[in-house]
Amino acid sequence: MNFSNYYKSFFGVLVFLLLSCSNDDSLDMPLEPFVVAFESLSANLSQINEAQDISLVYSKAAIQTGSVTLLLDVTNAVYGVDFITTPPINSNNLIIPILPTEIETSFLFTKLNQALDETVEIRFSIVSVDYPNAVIQGNTQFTINSSASLGRGFEPSVGGPNQPNQVYIDLSTESQTSIKRDSWDLGFYGGSDFRIGLNSSIYMAAAALESTDIDAVTQADVLEIQDQVAVGTFDPANIIYIDNPDGDINKTAIAPISSNDLENKVYLLNLGYEVGTETPAPGSIAIAGDARGWKKIRILKQDDAYLLQYADLNQSTHQEVLIEKDSNFNFSFFSFDTNSKLAVEPQLENWDVNFTVFTNVLTGAGSYGFSDGVLHNRKGGVKAYSILTDEIAYDDFSIENINTSAFLLDQRTIGSSWREVITQDKVLVDNIYYIIQDPNDNIYKLKFTALLSDSGERGFPEFKYKLVQ
Amino acid sequence: MRFLFLIIFMSSFNVCAQVVQQMDSLIANKLEEVVITGQINPQSISNSIVEVKVITREDIERQAGNTLADVLNTSLNISVSPNTSTGKSGVSLFGLDSQYFKVLIDNIPIINEEGLGNNTDLTLINLDDIQRIEIVEGAMGVQYGSNAVSGIINIITKKSSRNDWDITTYVQEESVGNEYEWFERGRHIQSLKVGHNLTERIYLNGVYTRNDFAGFFNNRKGKNHSVNDNLRGHQWLPKSQQNTKALFFYKKDDLTFSYRFEYLNESIERYAQNISINENPSTNTTNPTALDEIYTNNRFYHHLNALGTLFRAIEFNVSLSFQEQSKDLERFTYRIVSQEKENIKKGQYQSRRALFSRGTFSNIINTNTTNLQLGYELINEYGLGSSLAIVIGPGADLVTQQLYNYDFFATSEIKINKEFSLRPGGRVSFSNLFKTQFIGSLSAKQIISENWELRAILGSANRTPNYNELYTFFVDVNHDVQGNPDLDPEQGLSVFLHLKKKSALYDGRLKLKNKVSLNYLDITDRIELIVVNQSPLAFQYNNIDSFKALGIFSENEIYFQNFRAKFGASLQGISKVLDSRSQSNNDFLFNLQYNCNLSYYAPKFDTTYSIFFKHIGKQQQFVEKTNEQGQQEFRAGTTDPFSWLDTTISKSFFKGIFKTTAGSRNIFDITQVNTTALEGGSHSGPPSQIPLGYGRSYFLKLTYHLTY
Repeated sequence: MNFSNYYKSFFGVLVFLLLSCSNDDSLDMPLEPFVVAFESLSANLSQINEAQDISLVYSKAAIQTGSVTLLLDVTNAVYGVDFITTPPINSNNLIIPILPTEIETSFLFTKLNQALDETVEIRFSIVSVDYPNAVIQGNTQFTINSSASLGRGFEPSVGGPNQPNQVYIDLSTESQTSIKRDSWDLGFYGGSDFRIGLNSSIYMAAAALESTDIDAVTQADVLEIQDQVAVGTFDPANIIYIDNPDGDINKTAIAPISSNDLENKVYLLNLGYEVGTETPAPGSIAIAGDARGWKKIRILKQDDAYLLQYADLNQSTHQEVLIEKDSNFNFSFFSFDTNSKLAVEPQLENWDVNFTVFTNVLTGAGSYGFSDGVLHNRKGGVKAYSILTDEIAYDDFSIENINTSAFLLDQRTIGSSWREVITQDKVLVDNIYYIIQDPNDNIYKLKFTALLSDSGERGFPEFKYKLVQ
Repeated sequence: MRFLFLIIFMSSFNVCAQVVQQMDSLIANKLEEVVITGQINPQSISNSIVEVKVITREDIERQAGNTLADVLNTSLNISVSPNTSTGKSGVSLFGLDSQYFKVLIDNIPIINEEGLGNNTDLTLINLDDIQRIEIVEGAMGVQYGSNAVSGIINIITKKSSRNDWDITTYVQEESVGNEYEWFERGRHIQSLKVGHNLTERIYLNGVYTRNDFAGFFNNRKGKNHSVNDNLRGHQWLPKSQQNTKALFFYKKDDLTFSYRFEYLNESIERYAQNISINENPSTNTTNPTALDEIYTNNRFYHHLNALGTLFRAIEFNVSLSFQEQSKDLERFTYRIVSQEKENIKKGQYQSRRALFSRGTFSNIINTNTTNLQLGYELINEYGLGSSLAIVIGPGADLVTQQLYNYDFFATSEIKINKEFSLRPGGRVSFSNLFKTQFIGSLSAKQIISENWELRAILGSANRTPNYNELYTFFVDVNHDVQGNPDLDPEQGLSVFLHLKKKSALYDGRLKLKNKVSLNYLDITDRIELIVVNQSPLAFQYNNIDSFKALGIFSENEIYFQNFRAKFGASLQGISKVLDSRSQSNNDFLFNLQYNCNLSYYAPKFDTTYSIFFKHIGKQQQFVEKTNEQGQQEFRAGTTDPFSWLDTTISKSFFKGIFKTTAGSRNIFDITQVNTTALEGGSHSGPPSQIPLGYGRSYFLKLTYHLTY
């Protein structure tokens, strides 16, 4: 509004003339240190095919030129024969320029000998930084060998306030696999039992019907219970319609599939919600979009495979699909939208934690949809427990501090305990971190470093983790 | 620092002070004030059938009140309730909040972003060109329309001067609790007021006031605190206001014409308590940021008024007013170390504008016994609430509402005999959103003897549903809470009985005014959020509950030579029928409060000493809590009693050209009061705290008043 701006400036002058009361914010900012550090701590030699960029990051954007000097330390390999760097090493030193306006730099590591074995270790250390007020701290070393990752900072691609993605993370290989939440419906267990998992990230629910004849079931038969077969009805009895959120495969909503077909009932399936598309107010979420509707299903055992029968509620015929078990995965996944099987999770040994929306249970109020969830891979053998920083600071936690009896199976051990979103202010819980044992018995400590983006949007989590040594 | 400087500055005047000054008009020289609120024609308080209380200019000066929030705290029945998280101050009267209470300036409701007249933030009502404040308790729907349920405040502005020129400027420095600095702490007010009689017929007046409240830090550490220990920001939000007012007043014979303009600019700064540390795990450095907000209020007020006589008989008073208040929100990420703003997003938060016209035509019938006034009120109001202000679900950016009101009212004063008069009234209100409302009132006055008067006042008014009640939409997989566009206004009814006695003793040297009042307020169709479906659980606003307030209060005044005292006590019981709850308790819960204002004028020193005191006894309210067995139970929670005490000294120099007022507010050093009367939690749990004040504070006001 021009008028009010005109007014404001007019009054500004008036006040100045009247009282000469202006307020100069005297800036006594402390001089901040300039830090250069490796972005991560390690790389796996076997995963480097030919060459890999090794990144160094700055604590803030550079405003002038400078340089950082790295020292090379090699075990069982020879520079120039087995590997080289760009820029090249000169008397064990690598000098990399720091340029104005940049926030990071990198050098290239090229593996010349593809047959380097597990005894090889190549280490770069920051020995000096030529820049005003420079401080050497943080990730001062970078190790290339054949061991599990030493840790790093991580930004899982959850995808913002609609939290559209499930992100499976393997800590030891620093890798993430992302899939849209509503791209799958059912998981068929690959272990010894015959069990079905619902997609809890889209708030699915399932209720057993009396009938064993899928074609005979109509909408009228289920009308009465449809309101109740849902998440978030605030009815404590509704927990029978969801898989137990602790991740125990023996507590699914759908009963184990029997080899006696007559015991395999028809289930009413609430397909939950599509991923939301609205943009909520900053800090809020818009998880659920349109309802995805209903299906009736019946699952039978056929040899060592599952036979899925499914149809819309009022259809008098049904479709069938045979789904084989695959013991390399927790589940084989199926989507009604595409009528096909699809890959969702990495192999069961290749992921540790999953960033996902999930269905939880509130005591006394039944099922309740949770955002910002982090579920560990219980079925793949991952265990975890939480520690408060008052007990032991994150940086101080070392191998002696591991309490093996504290590990929990409940996949919600991390869950949503790392954030607080009840009040208007959405807050990262700053005084908790987690100890995670992966399927290969590597033990990591993991602490969340962000809940929101810089501009305050949800769905931009960040965490850091480190191998406990 | 600045304080000390001012004290030295002031005491230098003390030395050369001339102590000859006429008695302040403070003293009992005008017991018979003329009031206009609710009147057919302006008349004295004692002639008025409606019971009107007055806060005079002198009262305001003695308290060094800059805004309405400064002067109401020690009034009987009225409490000022600050909201430390929005920076606004509401009013509570007979247990009803600001939504039920209407604030008017010269008979015209003053707009704010949430209401026209009601929901007023008292800190936004500047008092620098105010003649007096008239207060009426009880429903005044016939005269003043919707939302005048618990009462009204009518602020009467100054429209004339005996002097050719009046120039007043003052500075007022206040500590906020024990916090004070030149700029960064405390409260700093500067004002300039110029009044001029341009011709015999034209009076002009202009006021500019700046009121800078640096916030109450308490243990908090302000904007640039970069540690995540919940100490960033302020306990009470800092805000600064600039007020500009102008008046053009023309008078000729039977006609007066005036145009009054106000512009208010306010900015409220909300620095988040929580900090994102933004750790960079690679460099092991941090870059703390916070999500901060600045609210900017702009209010424009135009008021055209014509007042005069038609056909030598009919007194007309017609006002046309356009008002607009918009509250904008600037949100940004603040990088604390580099003190830079990023991701700046600006947008509308809430706004409202209204075209308002009110006219009264008095003496339509004017005989010795009967006077009839007809009136109309037309409102064309447009309101807007953004999704940041009102929960309306993702996808919807804002809600808007266009409200048209066409109201007509008639009121008549009938003198049955010399002693007994009646005042019936009625209003019909048509609107595009609500069904037609009929409102009635009936007042009666009986002069029992020369010094005894009895008044009975029956009034009614309704409260229109607010935007949250109408438009809330919070539906997701876990929740279903919805507004209800079909809501009806709440219906309010009030009955007041006032018995007054005037006495003069010792040859008129001691004067007494005593009043005992009974009051009853009843609100039906109260709007409350109720469960409309158990499973899936769903909530919706509905007209369901009712509310009653029943009380007795007494107000008294004593004038003796240069001494004046006002004291009162009030016992109020509140009962709520909560049909919205599965269990409730409608017993009356009583609260006692009393107040006392004393002032003494010492002519020898031309100095006035004043004390303002108010005590609010323990307040109870039924709330739902978890008992020892883990069950939900309805029990009376209690808010602890507390007292306010302000004291001021005011002294004039050089025949009133300089005036200094110094004092201390909140001498009992109240910051908060314990309460168990908040919903939720367990019964045996610790009490919560309600913020009330920012502790004992001191002020010094220097006024320079020039006339010629």
